[in-house]
Amino acid sequence: MEYIIKNGIVFDPLNRIDGEQMDICIRDGVIVESVSEDAKVIDASGCVVMPGGIDSHTHISGPKVNTGRLMRPEDSYKELYLKRGLKPGTGFSIPTTYKTGYQYCEMGYTLGIEAAMPPLKAKHVHDEFVDTPQIDKGALTLFGNNWVVMTYLKEKDYELCAAYVAWVLKVTRGFAIKIVNPGGTEAWGWGKNVHGLDDPTPYFNITGREIVRGLCKVNEMLGLPHSIHVHPNDLGHPGNWKTTIETMECVKDIEPKPKYGERETVYYNAHVQFHSYGGTSWKDFESKGAEIAKYVNKSDHVVVDVGQITLDETTTMTADGPMEYALHMSTGNKWANCDVEVETGSGVVPFYYSPKGPVYSVQWAIGLEIFLNTDPSKVILSTDHPNAGPFTRFPRIIAWLMSKKYRDYWLNEVVHRWARTRSSVGDSDKEYSMYEIAQITRANQAKVLGLSLERGHLGVGAIADIAIYDIGPEEKDPRVIERAFRYAKYTFKRGEIVVKDGNIVRETFGDTIYVDVKIDETLEKELMKDLNEVFRKNYTVQMENYKVPEYLANNWRVIKIDNSQIS
Amino acid sequence: MEVILKLKEDIVVPVELDALLPEKIEGMDVEEIKDIEIPQGRRTVKVGDIFHVEIEESDIPRMTIKNSSMKLKRVGEGMTTGEIVIEGDVGMHVGAEMRGGRILVHGNVDNWAGRGMKGGELIVKGNGRDYIGSAYRGGYKGMSGGLIVIEGNAGHEIGEHIVGGMIHIKGNVGYFAGIHAKGGIIRIDGDVPGRLGAEMIKGAIVVNGRLSQVLPSFKYEGIVENPVIKIKKKDEGVRIEGTYHMYTGDYVNRKPKGQLYVSVNKNPHLA
Repeated sequence: MEYIIKNGIVFDPLNRIDGEQMDICIRDGVIVESVSEDAKVIDASGCVVMPGGIDSHTHISGPKVNTGRLMRPEDSYKELYLKRGLKPGTGFSIPTTYKTGYQYCEMGYTLGIEAAMPPLKAKHVHDEFVDTPQIDKGALTLFGNNWVVMTYLKEKDYELCAAYVAWVLKVTRGFAIKIVNPGGTEAWGWGKNVHGLDDPTPYFNITGREIVRGLCKVNEMLGLPHSIHVHPNDLGHPGNWKTTIETMECVKDIEPKPKYGERETVYYNAHVQFHSYGGTSWKDFESKGAEIAKYVNKSDHVVVDVGQITLDETTTMTADGPMEYALHMSTGNKWANCDVEVETGSGVVPFYYSPKGPVYSVQWAIGLEIFLNTDPSKVILSTDHPNAGPFTRFPRIIAWLMSKKYRDYWLNEVVHRWARTRSSVGDSDKEYSMYEIAQITRANQAKVLGLSLERGHLGVGAIADIAIYDIGPEEKDPRVIERAFRYAKYTFKRGEIVVKDGNIVRETFGDTIYVDVKIDETLEKELMKDLNEVFRKNYTVQMENYKVPEYLANNWRVIKIDNSQIS
Repeated sequence: MEVILKLKEDIVVPVELDALLPEKIEGMDVEEIKDIEIPQGRRTVKVGDIFHVEIEESDIPRMTIKNSSMKLKRVGEGMTTGEIVIEGDVGMHVGAEMRGGRILVHGNVDNWAGRGMKGGELIVKGNGRDYIGSAYRGGYKGMSGGLIVIEGNAGHEIGEHIVGGMIHIKGNVGYFAGIHAKGGIIRIDGDVPGRLGAEMIKGAIVVNGRLSQVLPSFKYEGIVENPVIKIKKKDEGVRIEGTYHMYTGDYVNRKPKGQLYVSVNKNPHLA
């Protein structure tokens, strides 16, 4: 099938195209130079054309999302998705799998990365991916509190650690290394937490610094497309901004060496809004977003995603077990807790970020402050769905960023006065341009994930994932912006029209992306000797049952990396 | 305007009536009301298919349901003004999420009566069942304002997660009345089998009948006479006649402020 998108105003930051009126040709699912006369013409005059959106940090699948769904029938009751010909779905902050896929697609998004997959629960994650339509998926595998990783890193045995990481990524079909509260979740097994980067975890006696640095080295040894994806220590504690900067600083000297993709950074800081708090307690709590932004601007090795608070009632879920317990104790809300043997843990607590709450209002302002002060090529739009807010609020965040008037309306009329007195968000006159919006919602993600060869841009050869929004490039009316980005005029998935005028017109099932690194055979044999022992002693499952089987995806898309020289 | 609905015959499959609020149908004529679509089970039917509809003069928006049955659900859900009179029993979720107005039921009500109510009055002449004035399943914010009066008995977990307002049960209740309460007042004139106010943080429960046992996590504060119940310091307070054992709790929570008043006369076995 051939299409030609005519007269659209194209924003494609990876190819440095800033609002040029041009035609885009599509043949057999990829973007090509030209098409024949028979190509179907899509008139996009007066509309904005961008590559398909990418959410590089979201929680849409797996055991903890499902626990959230199970424990929150009241969330299911809040929103109903019923459209002819589509599977019905429910849920506002933790929608069902089908609703998740449909709604991402309605917004012009075509790829979502599930941000926390415990290796042991990988089958569950992939099984839910099978039922998530419209978008491509990938999952970040949790390594930061893994016993095997901690043992190897303590012994400074980076080769074996790399071999283990490669093996886990292959058998659990993971995409990259995720680190959550390094050392802290393991300490939670002892009913404790770690504070700061140099606080050793019990028994393993390893610090967060050793884990982050070690895994960063391993990541570059393996040449993975994505960098390490880190949720640093002390999430949500007043005064944690120092830990955040220390963690960024500790991997500064490591060179990026991806064997696939065009990544230039070695460190991805997830939901940095939760890590930019000043003060010593909730009473003198204040924003340090500007300081974090300043550090990010002057460093070349860091990319951050924001995790913008949207001031909704939502569900928090993270592998940071002790943090969720603290949240449960402070709110009194229901709480789910899970220990994943040998590997990690997690917790789920419903949470209401009330606009009238002083602390929540400052959190909201911190997110915006980071957006407004950071170089738009180093910051990524996310809500850490559903931790800071559901992904369906992205259009509202875009409206806050593009219109100072709208932002000031919220700052002065809606939220608590602390947002004005304890942050500098009111001082900034910056308004995001359409080009910068394209950067923070697609281009930066594609680049840092290492997928920019074929995704996140509109150059010849790219996969034809395209979003067309019915909005002029200079539009400033927040209502128009919110509406346009919530319901795309067209979404193309792999060269087919899947959304038209905000409605799903065609159901497709995307790919699941994973990484398969080939390592040296003698090294692998050595690893297997250790692993057989670990499985015999510590796991409740056999190694053969641990692997994710072939049938748990609609279509696997494997990134093969040959790295047999590490030994 | 007053709309009088009369069930043509007994129905088996339940009908949801949240589309028929007095304020919504005010000013419509009989034919228009008969044309309103309502869900019955998995199908959609018209009001005229199952009800005789009549209209009479009245100063306020009113709706009367005659020959009512437990199969009519969500009556008065989300209403803000006017009055609904139900002659007979009514099904689940009557007066749920209502913000104002008045519902008068001359029979019994099913579960979830006044669920998540924010204001207005719900008066039931017969018996109630479980979850009166509670939160929706899984929710943590129940009734937050208004008044519910049940003249008969009620079931279990009444006022679950209650945040404000008042529930007055003139008969007996089941287990776990006022569980997870965070405010509001629950008055029970009859007997309570036990587990009263489990995990309550704030709010007050008054028992005039016999309470078999107080949870061990409550603290005895002594005997009070004609107490004035205040939930917040600034409240005017509700004065209650009689002599009561007073307890605070539930101390499974940190710093709880829940109050329990249990009649001294009916409970010689306590304290």
